[in-house]
Amino acid sequence: MARSSNLINMKSRPYQYLLAGLVFALGTFSCETYYEPSTSINEETALKNAADVETATIGTYAVLLQAAYVRSVHFLMEYPGDAVAQGQSSADDLTRAYRYTHINTSGHCANFWGQAYKVIAAANKIIAFVPDDAPADLAQLKGENLYLRAMMHFNLVRVFGRPYPQNNGGNPGVPLLLDGLTDEQTTTLARSTVKQVYESVIADLVKAAGLMSVEKTNSFASKEVAYALLSRVYLYMEDNANAVKYADLVIGSGRYSLLTGSEYPGYFKQVPAENKETIFAIRHTKVQDRGFSSIGSMYFSGDRSGNALGQGASGWAEIYASQKYVDFLDKNPGDLRHSFITPYLLGGVLQRNPKLNPTTPMYYINKYSLQEEIINLSSPVYLRLAEMYLIRAEANAKLGKTAEALADVNLLRQRAGLSGNALHTTAGLAAAGKSVLDAVLDERYLELAFEGHRAYDLFRNNRAMERNYPGTHSLNNTPTTNVTQKVLPTDPRVIFFIPQAEVDRNSKLEQNP
Amino acid sequence: MLKGTDRGASTNVSGEFELIIPDDQLASAVLAFSFIGYETQEIALGVNSVLNVKMAASVNQLDQVVVVGYSAKKARFLSSSVTTISNDKLRDVTSNELPNLLQGKAPGVVVSSSSGDPTSPATVVIRGSGSISAGTAPLYVVDGNIDGSYNPVDVESVTVLKDVAATGLYGSRASNGVIIVNTKMGAPGKTTISFNNSVGFANATTGKFRLMNSRELFDFQKTFYDRDPSVTNINTNWWDEAFRTAMVNNHNVSVSGGTGKTTFYVSGNFYKEQGTIVQNDKTGYSLRTNLQSQLTKRLSAKVLFNGQYIRDNYFTSNALGDAYINLPFDPAYDAEGKPTDGRSFPNWLGRDRENFLHSIQYNHAGANSLRITNDINLDFDLTDKITLSSYNRVNFGNGSSQSYNDRRTKQGGANGGELRNATSYNHRLLTSNRIRYAEEWGSHNLTLLGVAEAETAYGKATATSGKGLPPGRDVMSVATEPLEAPTGSYDQVGFRKYLGQADYSFDNRYFLVGSFVNEFSSLFGKNNSTANFYQLGASWVLSNELFLKNNPFVTFAKLRVSHGTVGNAAIPNFASLGLYTISQTASYANLPGAAPSQKGNPDLTWEKNRSTNVGIDVSLWNRVDVTVDVYTKQADDLLYQKPLAATTGYSYVWINAGSLRNKGVEFSIVSQNLKGEFEWETNFNMAFNRNKILSLSDGAEFFNPGDRLPLAAGHDMGDYHLPIWAGVNPDNGDPQWEKVVKAADGTITKELTNTYNQAQTAVSRQYAGKSATPNFTGGITNTLRYKGITLSAFLNFVSGNWIYHDARAYFDNDGLYESYNSMVLVNGWSRWTQPGDIATHPKPIVGGNKDSNQSSSRYLEDGSYLRLRNIRLGYDIPTTLMNKIGFAGANIFVSADNLVTWTRFSGTDPEVSLSREGGNFGFAGYRYPISKKLMFGLNFSL
Repeated sequence: MARSSNLINMKSRPYQYLLAGLVFALGTFSCETYYEPSTSINEETALKNAADVETATIGTYAVLLQAAYVRSVHFLMEYPGDAVAQGQSSADDLTRAYRYTHINTSGHCANFWGQAYKVIAAANKIIAFVPDDAPADLAQLKGENLYLRAMMHFNLVRVFGRPYPQNNGGNPGVPLLLDGLTDEQTTTLARSTVKQVYESVIADLVKAAGLMSVEKTNSFASKEVAYALLSRVYLYMEDNANAVKYADLVIGSGRYSLLTGSEYPGYFKQVPAENKETIFAIRHTKVQDRGFSSIGSMYFSGDRSGNALGQGASGWAEIYASQKYVDFLDKNPGDLRHSFITPYLLGGVLQRNPKLNPTTPMYYINKYSLQEEIINLSSPVYLRLAEMYLIRAEANAKLGKTAEALADVNLLRQRAGLSGNALHTTAGLAAAGKSVLDAVLDERYLELAFEGHRAYDLFRNNRAMERNYPGTHSLNNTPTTNVTQKVLPTDPRVIFFIPQAEVDRNSKLEQNP
Repeated sequence: MLKGTDRGASTNVSGEFELIIPDDQLASAVLAFSFIGYETQEIALGVNSVLNVKMAASVNQLDQVVVVGYSAKKARFLSSSVTTISNDKLRDVTSNELPNLLQGKAPGVVVSSSSGDPTSPATVVIRGSGSISAGTAPLYVVDGNIDGSYNPVDVESVTVLKDVAATGLYGSRASNGVIIVNTKMGAPGKTTISFNNSVGFANATTGKFRLMNSRELFDFQKTFYDRDPSVTNINTNWWDEAFRTAMVNNHNVSVSGGTGKTTFYVSGNFYKEQGTIVQNDKTGYSLRTNLQSQLTKRLSAKVLFNGQYIRDNYFTSNALGDAYINLPFDPAYDAEGKPTDGRSFPNWLGRDRENFLHSIQYNHAGANSLRITNDINLDFDLTDKITLSSYNRVNFGNGSSQSYNDRRTKQGGANGGELRNATSYNHRLLTSNRIRYAEEWGSHNLTLLGVAEAETAYGKATATSGKGLPPGRDVMSVATEPLEAPTGSYDQVGFRKYLGQADYSFDNRYFLVGSFVNEFSSLFGKNNSTANFYQLGASWVLSNELFLKNNPFVTFAKLRVSHGTVGNAAIPNFASLGLYTISQTASYANLPGAAPSQKGNPDLTWEKNRSTNVGIDVSLWNRVDVTVDVYTKQADDLLYQKPLAATTGYSYVWINAGSLRNKGVEFSIVSQNLKGEFEWETNFNMAFNRNKILSLSDGAEFFNPGDRLPLAAGHDMGDYHLPIWAGVNPDNGDPQWEKVVKAADGTITKELTNTYNQAQTAVSRQYAGKSATPNFTGGITNTLRYKGITLSAFLNFVSGNWIYHDARAYFDNDGLYESYNSMVLVNGWSRWTQPGDIATHPKPIVGGNKDSNQSSSRYLEDGSYLRLRNIRLGYDIPTTLMNKIGFAGANIFVSADNLVTWTRFSGTDPEVSLSREGGNFGFAGYRYPISKKLMFGLNFSL
């Protein structure tokens, strides 16, 4: 503290200067120290070597795991379907996804959009860091990140861009966030067309499949996971030959097998790694139960043994399997897919949610509950083998390969415990006035129900969504006792508004009509 | 003084004095007693052998010694804008939180409590929010050092420093003003033992707000929703079930005194305030010991100790939300009088199937905290002119919290019981070393001060949770499984400061003060971690000039000017760094990971505040003190947590983003309207602050554009910008908003739309012409005294601010939630029922009428209010009477807080946060309204 001493015109003895100096020295001792955070690391040191790439790749999956993605994307993809019925209006924005009463300040759209791009941005850092000719273990990790980027772009373009067949992909899609962009570029991205997004997704997946050579559990991406998604993407583009090609690659890989017999009803309670049919699932561990804020809480309320209880026991239980779906399933009482529905019975009587008129039957859905006996825990399945058979069947149906198509459909029907007349034949379909494609889509409805496919399956095939069952969609009507809702594939609301906050931050973003 | 003579004497520290009075004057002698800060008293000696002199505190505040920065001075010689509130003025309102006690008492100090929860203190903003993302809370300086714990009962005085000449010495943390708290010290002489006790009741204020009863709700809903009329057989008032008459207890014992060289003040306090919501309370125990001793002729020491133990109990099980929205059709109790369980009660109609009364039989949540402050302050007179001081402090804090949801309840049912435990520890070490040199020559006075200060603060926290607990067992060891992954972290910050100050005065007429501060903070990046600030102040005591001296009208007049800079560093630790989180949120499938979590900005630097203050203090007839201040504060390089487009991969980045100005006028008047046997004093203060964002970086038009309170150049940061509500369509009862259409040639037209999306666009959103910022705030206290009886009434007011009444989306939403209760429409509101109706409220439709409850100017309401914050009647029991029974003095009082509030606001309580900090600026959700309290007190001393 020389400066302070200078201020002072002391006429005293030297030891007093010394004392003054000592006192002031205390003040400057041990200061000007910088500290490091304890739960974060500086980005400059985050990606330096191969081990860092592995850690950061886990991080990319962790960004995917957050509720803002997992939960919101589920609501946006599944609730517009006709396998579900909302029995009471809700404080949550999810009601708007169900009722097609979208607003541009939707919380779930903002969550999904924001989190999906965070996944992509995290992946991009690794994609940019690892060269294409890296050793196999690093190339694998780069491939996984490319897969995740593709998966996010594909989900984004489905939620915010019109179905590919409309205008042959020429409609506005979503911004393509690729690696190597400057800060300026990332904040001013315009929407690419649906087609451009699909092309980028395919390029990423093909490259990812080429880079990945390590066989990881189905909680992670691997070569077959990329193939499986490619198969779905080509189906959506109506590139049926490629859809079949990649479905074949997955089915033929021998890595997966359909669950059968008593294993099948417990499909969604299994931990993904133990499930031979799952191709890719977003792994949730025992401490990642979201309780009342989980996906399962919207569908189910009950105890740890899986018995249904009243609303509020373990979940909101306000989104049910629709009467339409249950009636369709009931055509074959022995269909094992009844296992995924737990009707709420009291004294043997099916309960109904009395909030609407007509009342909604309470068919609880259990596909998102009871993993590891934790009521609201699940690891949502994104890709599974049954879908590969159904993709192949649909593509073959469109290619005119009726026998192949029906064989795949019947394989799944047999797995579901059906036999004899319950299996499809060309003649049977003709008698029922149904096409082979009808049969495939019906089977998708049964098999993939509540997994976020239904609305896309109808709209990409230019079919209308017909809801003729009790549910809050009837509140759109006058009188509200009229339960009919028909949504045409050309309806502006088969896709969602771009979050208005994003449009406000990036003037290049064009809003959906 | 012997009146009429120049004969006088001074007392020693015990108050003893010797004065020789000539015998011939003995009978007629009148003694005049005077003491700084007290009124002069004259007592005729007469034949009394014992004189009982009790000095009354002087009203004239100018002679109060005020601690400013690192010095203490008489108020009349300050160059700064300060307000001092003494203990008796502070503690009329009953609370254990200082901010609640400050409300309305100092001009420019805006206090707002967004909750009546006794465990949550109010926020304080001095002279407007000076920052947009960084903190806006003032800095607290307790007993001469930054930070520190204290209990309001031990506070001798609070001084609010508002202008930069005073605050600037505290450097980077002072840009929001400084509140200096000084605790009581003992005085030499007779030992005083004081007992202060008050006990009372509290009830929630509810204003104009009323929820519907069964009949009203049924009648309202039958227009749009089919319900069985038998539901009206039950009429539960959930509000009354959730709220109660709460007890408040405050008991304090203090012992103070001392001998010639050593004085002491020891105080113990017990405070318990129940919240008006069931389960909620706060209990505080505190102990303070302040010792002061002249160790040697040159060395004096102060040893200060404060220990506080606080236990908070929170309300649980969504009791507040349920109070507002549970349906009156659902019963609170079953036939046997036990609380019903909404999950299993047949035909429960409420949406959330929740009866908090059932849950709170078993659930609880709370926190315990222990805070200790220890100070050792040494002053050493090196010479007559040089003083060396070393002020040293350690603060320790320890906290633990627990939240238990029993397996029998809705909240804990799914997991077979849930328990969450958290603990925290923190300490702060501070040393402040000072050298002071004072010189006088002739009429010149010069004081030089040098300060070197170092400080480090460390904190750590852990949390664990478990599930699967037997009923009624709330300890972690009985949990069978983890619920969430355990968490824990620690962090540390460091500050270092050098400061020099020169203080010069001439003839008690001219005063100049200048200072320079150099500060280091580890909060900032390595390139920008130190900063320099300067402050200048001047004042001129006009009344000491010849032309005003002995003027009977203007008895005191002073002009003050100050100018200087301070910084603002109130941002989270590591805000400038680009970070990957390695916490378990970055883990996946039981593997540890690292995920990008914060965008870095290596150029991030201090927010700089430049302020100028001009003030005048005037005393008229020695009875009316008027203070007026005019100021301007400009903040540049505003610290801003800027939301980013999602395509950047980040939610936000910290940047330095433009500039902001607050300017204003504030004044206070303290007037002795009547003096003598009947006294009447009025204390009035008022402040007008205007806030304006001058510019935003990169020439941006808006920051955070879609927000109701975006930031835009040329606007107050409280200006609402949102879809504009255009009332109800008389033809069909639809909600309507303004849709702005921009033609190709740029012409703008407004249309009405019933589609919310068309109003919620960048083009259609507009300024509502309403702001969350008040036009003015203030308070007025009138005190009447007559023969030991004191009656005081204190009103505070806030005017011109608008509240976004968000909770109406849930209980005033045109049928959207038929399974929630609704509020009764207040006077002037009306419901559309048939074509042609001119109404404020749309036609109700089950499931909602076209997003009518979405964010728009519809829910903006005038937040102005005038509140009778306190009224108090006290009586000093005559000393003669008390002495006979062995007491030195006693006082009894009745005191009432918040008895009446005048407001147009439709909710329970118009007092919302008036600060941007915390994200609740002007926002009213499900309010926990503040309490009306009725307190009875007895104070006595031995």
